[in-house]
Amino acid sequence: MNIRLVSLPNPRQKSAASITACLILLCSLFILNAMIDETGLGTDLGRRYLAPGHGSILGTDWLGRDMFTRITKGLCMSFHIGIMSAIGSSLIAVIMGLAAAVFGKKVDAIVALLIDAFLSVPHIVLLILVSFTLGGGFKGIVIAVCVSHWSRLARIIRAEILQLKGSDYIMMSYRLGRSRRWIMAHHMLPHVSSQFLIGLILMFPHAILHAAGLSFLGFGMTPDRPCIGVLLSESMRHISTGYWWLALFPGAALVALVKIFDVIGENASRMLNPRTKQE
Amino acid sequence: MLKRFISMLILSFILLCGCGPAQTIKPGDLVLAIGGESAEGYDPTMGWGRYGHPLFHSTLLKLDENLNTINDLAVSHTVSNGGLVWTVRIRDNVLFSNGDPLTADDVAYTYNTAAQSGGKADLAMLKEAAAVGPNRIRFTLKYPYIGFIGKLRTLGIVPANIHRTGRNYARNPVGSGPYKFVSWTEGQQLIVEANPYYYGMKPSIKRMIFLFMDEDTSFAAAKAGRVHVVALPPILGKQKIPGMTVHPVRSVDNRGIMFPCVPDTGKKTPEGYSIGNNVTSDIAIRKAINYTVDRRLLAATVLEGFGEPAWGIVDNLPWDEPSIRIKDNDPATARKILKDGGWVDTDGDGIVEKNGTRAEFTLLYYSNDSVRQNLSLACADMGKKIGIKINVAGKSSDEILRLNHSCAVLYGYGSHSPEEMYNLFHGKFAGIEQLNAGFYRNPTVDRYLDKAMSSSTVEESNRYWKLAQWDGKTGMSVRGDAAWAWLVNLTHVYFISDTLDVGASMIEPHGHGWPITANIEKWRFTK
Repeated sequence: MNIRLVSLPNPRQKSAASITACLILLCSLFILNAMIDETGLGTDLGRRYLAPGHGSILGTDWLGRDMFTRITKGLCMSFHIGIMSAIGSSLIAVIMGLAAAVFGKKVDAIVALLIDAFLSVPHIVLLILVSFTLGGGFKGIVIAVCVSHWSRLARIIRAEILQLKGSDYIMMSYRLGRSRRWIMAHHMLPHVSSQFLIGLILMFPHAILHAAGLSFLGFGMTPDRPCIGVLLSESMRHISTGYWWLALFPGAALVALVKIFDVIGENASRMLNPRTKQE
Repeated sequence: MLKRFISMLILSFILLCGCGPAQTIKPGDLVLAIGGESAEGYDPTMGWGRYGHPLFHSTLLKLDENLNTINDLAVSHTVSNGGLVWTVRIRDNVLFSNGDPLTADDVAYTYNTAAQSGGKADLAMLKEAAAVGPNRIRFTLKYPYIGFIGKLRTLGIVPANIHRTGRNYARNPVGSGPYKFVSWTEGQQLIVEANPYYYGMKPSIKRMIFLFMDEDTSFAAAKAGRVHVVALPPILGKQKIPGMTVHPVRSVDNRGIMFPCVPDTGKKTPEGYSIGNNVTSDIAIRKAINYTVDRRLLAATVLEGFGEPAWGIVDNLPWDEPSIRIKDNDPATARKILKDGGWVDTDGDGIVEKNGTRAEFTLLYYSNDSVRQNLSLACADMGKKIGIKINVAGKSSDEILRLNHSCAVLYGYGSHSPEEMYNLFHGKFAGIEQLNAGFYRNPTVDRYLDKAMSSSTVEESNRYWKLAQWDGKTGMSVRGDAAWAWLVNLTHVYFISDTLDVGASMIEPHGHGWPITANIEKWRFTK
């Protein structure tokens, strides 16, 4: 019995370990980013289409820009865009969802209407509209993604809380004289925190891909400061011409980044979810 | 292997979504994937064919392979009354593809309609076209305008009785050109057949199918042997396609940097867009960039060798002034120009300053155009070497229309008519959308341009077109005011099936329409 306790960590410890590992990976990305200077972002027309290993780790592109530098810088840029817009839109979603569930019928009707309205507009239309109005760039993309992506999560959170409202322990809490606000803060928020996290994780790749789409259409980032989406859309053509490294490495980097977030999110939700946190 | 897989994937996709082309192609058909789909349709009076060779239509005059103007529908033309009256005699017995005769009335109708439509055909100089006999047309101009000869070369003649009914002519054109329109599935394909009534040399190819696909899909289709002629971006020009040979065609399809030539004094256009740029309005900056960029390197790398250095907007055309060529890739001269102009790096950050203004400006390009993007990025780095910081930004065409009076823009032009040079550099077009977007104004140049336009012969006008570029003292070109930094002329990349002989292609204009079909009568299958 004792031996088992020592040799096999419990699920919470395992989760904590995975999260730590992922955070270390993320940190190393930032350290790497800080260590690399920006000369690799400039064009060097004498060193075009170098395959990986021939004088540069991940090869160079059609203008002689170093892919390793571009991917590292691009990942960081995408990380920033992703995290900012994911947090932003999940926050909007939680506020909307909570407001709908807590502040009575009228507010609920308005929020439900808003959710329907935003769900019925195609994302890309809204994204272009907002990003264009704000003049594109980092700010434009982040706000555009925030404004267009909160509705799905808000709907889930609203449903969750409506369901919660009918559950026994909430009823009991009411009967015991707790205020709505207290119940919201102590019972409802913790309950939806896992939804929040999952929403955040799901939003993250979305945000990066939309940033790429917007940049491709000319409303987002400029290509001299690449985000990973720009790298991917640029490399599309080069797949058919055989310059595989231009697409493979940014793609793999994006998958890795998203996977890291996935692992963090999954484990965090396991640790926070009221149903599994005691395991 | 990967390439194969992806081509297969794309192809199966085409086959799934576009069964149309696969079913209608018969042996002996020529299949082309060279773009040229016109969203507005194929109505010459609305601008179809303004870059030449409307295919379904014939024009009064045309250019031969050596860019000489020769007769097409016309048998002769005269200019009188100081360039105000142009009289054209047309051939007898010309029939439209539906069998109706083409008369002077049709010609007059076409020109009057195009002038009134205010479309891209741009006939603002035309007062009236009138038939003065069964085969004579008299054009009266509002002012002498030698550029009118360019209109005679590009405006296709429409049948008045059909066009007048207004029944969607643009989607169902009838003309007197070598081919007649058969059908058009928008976004997919357009089919034409040889016009049995064509008066010129009968083409040996009886039916042509134009496929409209994006470049990568075209490439995949070419690799699968499904097309005979394909236009590809330069980046794909080095690829090998089985059964096809690369066919590079020189062009005046140029790319260059337009500079705002006036300082920013807070003035705005009537639409409220800012005018002027305090850095690019300094001639030293414009000249330095012109001297430091390595045009040959840009052509060899960004264009993958499918391009040549560009020095002006009309390179290698009869009105091109040869002496505007300079020795570029010369950072030493560029630095000296900057220093003489008062631009020195006083704070040691690598960027030069003058009176507290940093040599920094924004260069815009159309964000969906990768060639322009790459040229911009490469130029920005070439500018950095001599201490000029160029910030590159991709924008949509609407945004660029708002910013092009205050930011440099990487534009592309190139036409078979010097009229374009007139529109881009004459002071009277300053600030009109993207014509003279940079507010460039030089009274001497304006005078030459006016003289050229009001000349009564092409030879005389060519002399003035050349003087406007550089007269030994001043001019719009890099030797003079360096209003633009022209970078490259593209070489259009086609791949032609080894079973097809397309003859010699002429220097092509900016890419719209189907310039490669200019000598379509001479095309033939060899196998």
